[in-house]
Amino acid sequence: MISRSRKQIKKHRDGEIPVGSFSDIAFLLIIYFIVATSLMKVKTIQADLPSGEKATQAQTEKIPIVNLRGSEIFFNDKPVTLIQLEERLAALDLRQKDESKRIIMLESTRDTSYEAYFQALASISAEGGIVAIVEEEK
Amino acid sequence: MKRKKKRRPVSVPVASMGDIAFLLIIFFMVCSELSKEKDVPLVLPMSEYVEKVEADIVARVQIDEAGQIYLDGVGVAGPKDIEWGLRAMLANTVSDKQRHVQFKCDAALPRDTFEPVLQAIAEAGGIVEAVGEKIE
Repeated sequence: MISRSRKQIKKHRDGEIPVGSFSDIAFLLIIYFIVATSLMKVKTIQADLPSGEKATQAQTEKIPIVNLRGSEIFFNDKPVTLIQLEERLAALDLRQKDESKRIIMLESTRDTSYEAYFQALASISAEGGIVAIVEEEK
Repeated sequence: MKRKKKRRPVSVPVASMGDIAFLLIIFFMVCSELSKEKDVPLVLPMSEYVEKVEADIVARVQIDEAGQIYLDGVGVAGPKDIEWGLRAMLANTVSDKQRHVQFKCDAALPRDTFEPVLQAIAEAGGIVEAVGEKIE
């Protein structure tokens, strides 16, 4: 009897889901995505560094070479400033040539910083050159 | 005699706010890409030729000021790890558009630190997108 009366007392709860705070949750999620998303595009230079077989001495003889010795720049063994290097590269008119003739060799000494290397790389790439890194003989 | 104006109760319709908010969430979820970059201390080199990158970046390689190398934010032991990691990433690529690798390196680092990494990227078949600051 007691249990029956208790059953009778039980209120009928309606099955509604509380949705009042949904929009708050949604906006919090939006804020999270806005903060976590990287919309900014970084500024870069594009350098095409081909991979492949090592070239022989005879093959590399006629290819223009940029040497970086510390902070000094040499183009075909002649000292140049960065502006002069850009002028020399522009004079080669690399964009009009086919891919095999657009190769510029880039050699550097151990004390060359990435700053100097980056600037040379940027100049070569800006003129349409394909950079071939010269490795030291081991 | 002035007529008494009836004041209508002004209520902003907020019933659809939740829907709008969830649509915005879906938009951000679809468009966003969670950052794979590790926030490492480095000073970027400068050049007048740097431009905003339009290409899709497939991987990010960073070298911090201490010379530690990272591939997509995870520290690696050396350039060989970069090469093999990138080879695996670029294995199924079909066009040049899918081969762009972002490269960030501290401006003061010596050649022996960064050049093997650049060579590793090239050997793996990546096109280097070297990040720098624009000289104004």
